[in-house]
Amino acid sequence: MASKKTAQKTLSLAPVLDLNEATALHEKLLALKGSDIVIDASAVERVGALCVQVLMAGAKTWEEDHLSFTFSKVSDAFEKTTQLIGVEIDHLVAKEI
Amino acid sequence: MDMNEIKEIFFQECEEQLAELESGLLKLNDGDRDPETVNAVFRAVHSIKGGAGAFGLDDLVSFAHVFETTLDCVRSNRLDPGPEVLKVMLKSADVLADLTNAARDGGSVDEARSRQLIKELEALANGEVPQASAAPAEPVAKPVAAAAPPPVNDEGFQPVAFSFDDFDAAEEPPLMEMPTYEIVFKPKSDLYAKGNEATLLLRDLSRLGEMSIHCDMGALPTLDRLSPESAYFFWKISLKTDKGEDAIRTVFEFAEWDCDLEISLIEDEVAQPGEELPMQPVPFDLSILDDEPAISVGVVEEEEQLASRQQDRDAAVAAAATASNVLQMAQSATRAPAEKAAPAASAAAQSAAAQQAAASAATPTIRVDLDRVDRLINLVGELVINQAMLSQSVVENDTNGTSSINMGLEELQQLTREIQDSVMAIRAQPVKPVFQRMSRIVREIADMTGKSVRLITEGENTEVDKTVIDKLAEPLTHMIRNAVDHGLETPEKRLAAGKSAEGTVRLTAKHRSGRIVIELADDGAGINREKVRQKAIDNDLIAADANLSDEEIDNLIFHAGFSTADKISDISGRGVGMDVVKRSIQALGGRINISSKPGHGSVFTMSLPLTLAVLDGMVVTVANQTLVVPLTAIVETLQPEASAIHSFGANQRLISIRNSFCPLVDVGRILNFRAIQANPVEGVALLVESEGGGQRALMVDAIQGQRQVVIKSLEANYTHVPGIAAATILGDGRVALILDVDAIVAASRGQSLKPEMSLAAAG
Repeated sequence: MASKKTAQKTLSLAPVLDLNEATALHEKLLALKGSDIVIDASAVERVGALCVQVLMAGAKTWEEDHLSFTFSKVSDAFEKTTQLIGVEIDHLVAKEI
Repeated sequence: MDMNEIKEIFFQECEEQLAELESGLLKLNDGDRDPETVNAVFRAVHSIKGGAGAFGLDDLVSFAHVFETTLDCVRSNRLDPGPEVLKVMLKSADVLADLTNAARDGGSVDEARSRQLIKELEALANGEVPQASAAPAEPVAKPVAAAAPPPVNDEGFQPVAFSFDDFDAAEEPPLMEMPTYEIVFKPKSDLYAKGNEATLLLRDLSRLGEMSIHCDMGALPTLDRLSPESAYFFWKISLKTDKGEDAIRTVFEFAEWDCDLEISLIEDEVAQPGEELPMQPVPFDLSILDDEPAISVGVVEEEEQLASRQQDRDAAVAAAATASNVLQMAQSATRAPAEKAAPAASAAAQSAAAQQAAASAATPTIRVDLDRVDRLINLVGELVINQAMLSQSVVENDTNGTSSINMGLEELQQLTREIQDSVMAIRAQPVKPVFQRMSRIVREIADMTGKSVRLITEGENTEVDKTVIDKLAEPLTHMIRNAVDHGLETPEKRLAAGKSAEGTVRLTAKHRSGRIVIELADDGAGINREKVRQKAIDNDLIAADANLSDEEIDNLIFHAGFSTADKISDISGRGVGMDVVKRSIQALGGRINISSKPGHGSVFTMSLPLTLAVLDGMVVTVANQTLVVPLTAIVETLQPEASAIHSFGANQRLISIRNSFCPLVDVGRILNFRAIQANPVEGVALLVESEGGGQRALMVDAIQGQRQVVIKSLEANYTHVPGIAAATILGDGRVALILDVDAIVAASRGQSLKPEMSLAAAG
């Protein structure tokens, strides 16, 4: 992973990740395809299932591309929501960064 | 918007729901077992109940509540909707309609009837309750108590109150630990599109008890194939709760039609299939999420609604429902899906939402005040007249090099025509609501007379102008009553005549050459011509030795004060029926006709104009007057030759057309435009088809042309003129009279044009 750090890009998530944001988030992620990505979810105040779907699809895509897809920081709301809906993100939350 | 307006909207919606209810029940009655039909019926009652609760209409709520409970049994397959069950349900639908009307107009309802039906409904609901066999007396009594009147209070909204499942769950806790439910929740994309949010539903669910969850991401594609607004996740949830299955269903209440939901009670902890899956326990402390009333909403309006979800839990139901109604109305204007309405607010909102979901394919509609449409139609009428005037003055002042003006005018003419057609289409409505009302009338009359009747309706989607529809209900009601009361025989007589005990009344609507034709056929005994004739003689309607054709005898029943019923019954037979029918149909510019076969029944045929606003007419000249003859009446036009004209009797003339003779009617003479008969050879003959089916040749002096004219009522602006249907304004600004062809034909049979006489003559 360390070798790829040069190509790493960061995506900061918007505070409100609702229905309207899903498409925008999808586009943002697609644009970042092909390089390691670090997602900053520290500002997230609320997140809906659709955006979680987009993020998880992203994680899956990045995994297939053998690139790293990690959350640098997650807000309490983000963490709780993913817990609530049974989406495991622990393994994506980067501890070494 | 004040409360009364909201209430008015509620009642309008009630009407729609009642229609939905009735058509659903009738479908079930015909053997339809589609769960969606049952759902539609249930939703209709449910939403009436919800709305009624919001306005404190207790009678309505309590009846709807019991009705709903029974329907719920049908919905959950605990009660088979057989003929007997449906009979009770159809009656209940009628009572529900009565209660709604009483609530709106302040009338009273037959309380004994509704009490009786409540009993019957409860009996149905309880008869099939699964617990009944296991624990016969006690458990059954409780749900009945919950469902029975006196009017349920506001809690009546909670499905929990009448649920048998709930009861089931409530019995169990003392015996074992808290039951565990396995819930499979698969949202559809629509759920998100309608502003619902899976995370919120799951949060509410987690509040019910101890919850573990597994999110199935198997369907999730990679990013490039992902459609960001589609639903891919679905959840398997294991929930330990003592609140019962209904509490779980309540959580999903507003998303029910946008997700697949399976809830099963896991009896044995060991056999819990959920254990195979990596379940993630959901922490109890979700407080942080509570501060976010709306997770996935974009529009401000939606945010408000979802926010109100929280408050509404605590707020008085009535107030909340009002809020929701207001929101709903805001939505009906914008056509945002009704799903977004404040969830806990009112059951009405919920059902409306459900219905929306069910009919998501239906095209969006708006509700418009009829007055506005009428104003528009009037204006378009003026536009048509104005355009005609403009064309005419251009033609009159035609000089060289005005072809571009003429072309422009032609385009204008086409445009106005199109605008007119489109505006007319706004007013066009299917006859379905009227037909549906008839099925109730048939049921009631059948009940009163002890006859068994089946009403078959056809072509109920045939569209006709709203005014025509509104005015159609009354004559149709009269006729249906007559058909059942007089037309059909008693079951015994029918069996004796070799027919099935159940009589059939068939109501058909169809378009035929620019008119709507409504047929009402019964398979009864037909008209007893001897009796009719005798009665007519007794009432001095005809001379004792009058020689009348069968058709003429049949038409005698349209005479004022004519009734052959030996006894005057409640239902019909006051002798005011058929003449009133005829007059109302004629007032609509329609015709009514009867044909009857002894032993086989009678057929009433009504032919009505599609609209009362415009008419395609032939503009003719008669004795220097301009008249308009409705094009629909004209079969052909011809220039008579002297050799084809034959005198007949004192002053009758016939014209020979292709080897058959047809009476020649001088319009100018009949309307008293001239004192002596015109010479047929100098004029034009219009061959018209009259009501009785016979043809007549109307003599006019010349044909000016053919055009669409805007109908202006003579009755409203002047007074009724016999032989004249209405008037119109021509391009040159002159008023032209529109001919009432049937009246002219009738008058040609020897009677003068007096209103009552023309009626008699037509009869």
